[in-house]
Amino acid sequence: MKKKSFLSLMALSTAGLIALSACGADESEDAASADENNNGGDTNEAAEQEEVTLDFMHLWPQGSSPDHYRIVTEIIEEFEEMHPHVTVEMEVLENEQYKNKLQVVSSSNQLPDVGMTWPAGFLEPYVNGDLFAPLDDALEEDNMRDDFVAGTIEAYSVDDEAYALPLELNIAPVFYNQAIFDEYGVEVPETYDDLIEVIDTLSEGGMTPIALGNRDRWTGSLWYMYLADRIGGSEALNSAIDRSGSFTDERLVEAADRIQEMVDHDAFISGFNGLSDQEAKAEFMNGNAAMYLIGSWDLPNYTTNEEVPQEFRDSIDFFKFPEVDGGDGDIDSWVGGPGVGLFVAENSDVKDEAKAFVKHFTEEWGKQSVEDAGVIPGTQVNTDEVDLPDLFIDVLDELNNASDITLFADVQMSSGVAETHLNMIQSLFGEDVTPEEFAETHEEALQEDE
Amino acid sequence: MNQIMSDKRVIALYTLPALLLILTLIYVPIVLTGYYGLMDWDGIGGMEFIGLENYANLIGDTMFWRSAWHSLLLALFSVGSLALYLTVSLVLAGNIKGADMFRKIFLIPMLLSSVAIAQLWIRIYHPSNGVMNRFLTSIGIENPPMWLADTSLVLFAIFVPIIWQYAGFYIIIYYAALKNIPKELEEAAKIDGASPLQIAYKIKLPLISGIIKVTIVLAVIGSLKYFDLIYVMTDGGPNGASEVMASYMYKLAFRSNDFGYGSAVGFFLLVLILIVTYLIRKATASKDEVQY
Amino acid sequence: MPSNTAAVEKTEGLRLGSLRIRPGKLLLYVILGLVAVLQILPLIWLVLFSLKDNQEVFNLAPFALPADPQWSNYARVWTDGNIGLYFFNSVIVTGTAVILTVLLASLVTFAITRMQWKLNKLVLGLFMVGLMIPVHSTLIPLFSFFNTIGLMDHHLSIILTYTAFNLPLTMMILLGFYYTLPRELEEAAIMDGCSIHRMFFRIILPITAPVVATTAIINMIYNWNEFVFVNTFISSDSLKTLTVGIQNFIGQYSTDWGAIGATLVISMLPILIAFLILSNKIVEGMTSGSVKG
Repeated sequence: MKKKSFLSLMALSTAGLIALSACGADESEDAASADENNNGGDTNEAAEQEEVTLDFMHLWPQGSSPDHYRIVTEIIEEFEEMHPHVTVEMEVLENEQYKNKLQVVSSSNQLPDVGMTWPAGFLEPYVNGDLFAPLDDALEEDNMRDDFVAGTIEAYSVDDEAYALPLELNIAPVFYNQAIFDEYGVEVPETYDDLIEVIDTLSEGGMTPIALGNRDRWTGSLWYMYLADRIGGSEALNSAIDRSGSFTDERLVEAADRIQEMVDHDAFISGFNGLSDQEAKAEFMNGNAAMYLIGSWDLPNYTTNEEVPQEFRDSIDFFKFPEVDGGDGDIDSWVGGPGVGLFVAENSDVKDEAKAFVKHFTEEWGKQSVEDAGVIPGTQVNTDEVDLPDLFIDVLDELNNASDITLFADVQMSSGVAETHLNMIQSLFGEDVTPEEFAETHEEALQEDE
Repeated sequence: MNQIMSDKRVIALYTLPALLLILTLIYVPIVLTGYYGLMDWDGIGGMEFIGLENYANLIGDTMFWRSAWHSLLLALFSVGSLALYLTVSLVLAGNIKGADMFRKIFLIPMLLSSVAIAQLWIRIYHPSNGVMNRFLTSIGIENPPMWLADTSLVLFAIFVPIIWQYAGFYIIIYYAALKNIPKELEEAAKIDGASPLQIAYKIKLPLISGIIKVTIVLAVIGSLKYFDLIYVMTDGGPNGASEVMASYMYKLAFRSNDFGYGSAVGFFLLVLILIVTYLIRKATASKDEVQY
Repeated sequence: MPSNTAAVEKTEGLRLGSLRIRPGKLLLYVILGLVAVLQILPLIWLVLFSLKDNQEVFNLAPFALPADPQWSNYARVWTDGNIGLYFFNSVIVTGTAVILTVLLASLVTFAITRMQWKLNKLVLGLFMVGLMIPVHSTLIPLFSFFNTIGLMDHHLSIILTYTAFNLPLTMMILLGFYYTLPRELEEAAIMDGCSIHRMFFRIILPITAPVVATTAIINMIYNWNEFVFVNTFISSDSLKTLTVGIQNFIGQYSTDWGAIGATLVISMLPILIAFLILSNKIVEGMTSGSVKG
């Protein structure tokens, strides 16, 4: 009896060892065969190309994003038909887990061949670590660069080299509920003072003027960014961030002051600092709040999403963020920018295939994403050719006529400064800091980061 | 007897597999965390040795000390709540009818994942629709608190679900410990005319004092490195009002791309726990010796 | 305390006790009943939650009934992805890790508390430190380790990680019980000519069944709901566990909460059943074990 239990325990651990070494062997074989492929890859036209696998990681799960997922699968199938020697293996993770995994695998230089990244501040550490491959060669082929909306590629560029191709482009309009506006007899505000008046009328009538879920922080940042833009023009904020100017610029302080003025006028839903964006959105969609500032990614909710009552969708429109009297801002300047884009890993064994895949994917995505998934791609959309609801077309037109798009602050800044910015946004809205302290803290963080 | 019970080969056979496992999977990461703490590293690209700079910065980092204070408060509350769990367990382990059913029901929330618990409590604390504020307004309170938005309340608001989340864990341990007490002891005491309260206080509690000490240590360690619900429900906010050490570390390492500094925080957290645990064991050690 | 005063107090206590035995018990049951209701409400909430659409999840009061129960949430969860396969993987990973953890922890605890050797306190200390490291500090080192030994994207990586991370906790719980075992137990066994292995597997392990069941329950719940390690170490869809079901419904900008609720309900049922079975063991084990007092 005793021997038996002892033996079975041993058996267990040896089994573990065998499995372990077996896997080790597998892995090295894989690596070896991958190397061979790489050599073969240079002579692209070689008739007998070896079978290769291309790992692709993205963040559009089937359950939450069925349309995205379907297009992705179709594009992959097409690509595999065009390149019979390639099998694309995808891994899907949700946003937060996706970001974590990307960082963890990077630390061991194990990035997937193709994956998704965000622009600017997010992408820079990966480029500095030589983890993403430059894609300029791919962009030069067939003048692909011209297909993209001006300025989008730049957001993924470091030292004038592009490291990812955009799949998403958004601007943030102020959506409002026309039915509520009618009921309270208010009109679309054209200036900040109008906005305050609208807010006062609504809140005196017992209606929440603005839905804001500031637990997520970037939501409040949108409001601040717009005020900074309308007061100081796009130059004030941008120069503070790129260090040609300072964050203690009085225009940036004034923007912060206006935020607190809005808070004092009960502009935002009660408890906003503890609410998530989704909770706030639910209030807006349930007719409990009159306005909601969010990215154009939310358009399907107000146009095509069948789960949302038709009546509600019909009563939603948007306006451009109002101008501030005496400010330098331009009403056609937007806060927004590209969202996710595709990168190719620098150490990928199948770099040529990966680049071909990224190119193919971006092109096809550009053709299908607006109509089929309600996503505005980074490539140009001809609004005459697509069949879209009016509200959608209006936003696309605004995008085409935009005088300037200021990149979301938390994307534009390096991630360390972005954390400070986002925390200060919560404090500013919560009135835990003065506008001056708000600006000074930013300035300190920016200086430290230099 | 002694020969058999001190057989080196048996000791090695019984301890080495587990020891090997934790040495590779826990100690290697611990050592590496300390090592990364000496680096300027974004967790992505190359790293640069900067000596003790991260640790020096830590000493002057007010946000870190604030989060450490929050963690410590959580530890105090958790330890305090053990008394409640112990009382519940004493009742459940007593000879009352239906105790078995009550015990099973009491432990059900323990099965819920943190995802579910967070969603539940977010809805309890919702400023207008929440269970809590609907109740408060219905009894005539006009401006009920904004539980998760109020910087002076949020920390305590978030403690409640954390402590509730672990109720089952401690109750099940206490229950098993109480059931482990030989019935004869209790019966003998009853014959002597001891009241249930006296039996609990004079007989049961001393007998399970070992496990009580263990749970105190577990509660302290678990609280000091606590992360889950805070991350989902408040994300440490508003502006750090509910930040704890582990969530601060996570943000530094994975959001601010300051993996080196995050690692230093993680390592420091470990050292802090080590010290606190040592102090607790020291404080309870004298009784330990008498007990066994 | 002099024995006579103690005796007086005891009789008083008894008398008082017998006098208010009825209202006291009643009050006790009322309190127990109330707590029981409170504890079962989250379960009811979860089921209601899983039947709501996204609008209702946010706008209805938590315990309000959905206007039109969304059974489709369940249908979606069931048809999207390989829930059967995920379930199988969850059972394999959780089951193996729980057995491994409880067995290894029992062996070590036995060696540390019952056997005589010099370094036992030190080894115990080594294990205890394992409790103290925050999970997120370990992700990068562990990834790099599993990657080096080729265990990435393999169930063993998460099974071993779960085992290592739960060993210290399991041992701490076992420890308190092992200390209270009477020495005579082993003496008698050895007198009877029992080998140490036989003694451990035939006497010690059965007698600690209640606490083993307790730790098994705790381990099971932790492993079943864990997702950070799974996401980090596993890439192949075919190897993922039930927790990816939740991921599946979290979108880039919005989340399908009803479906997440349905996933939570579905994935909770198996552990609820396992819990009820194991939970009985806590009592059963004790009655059979208490023969030797």
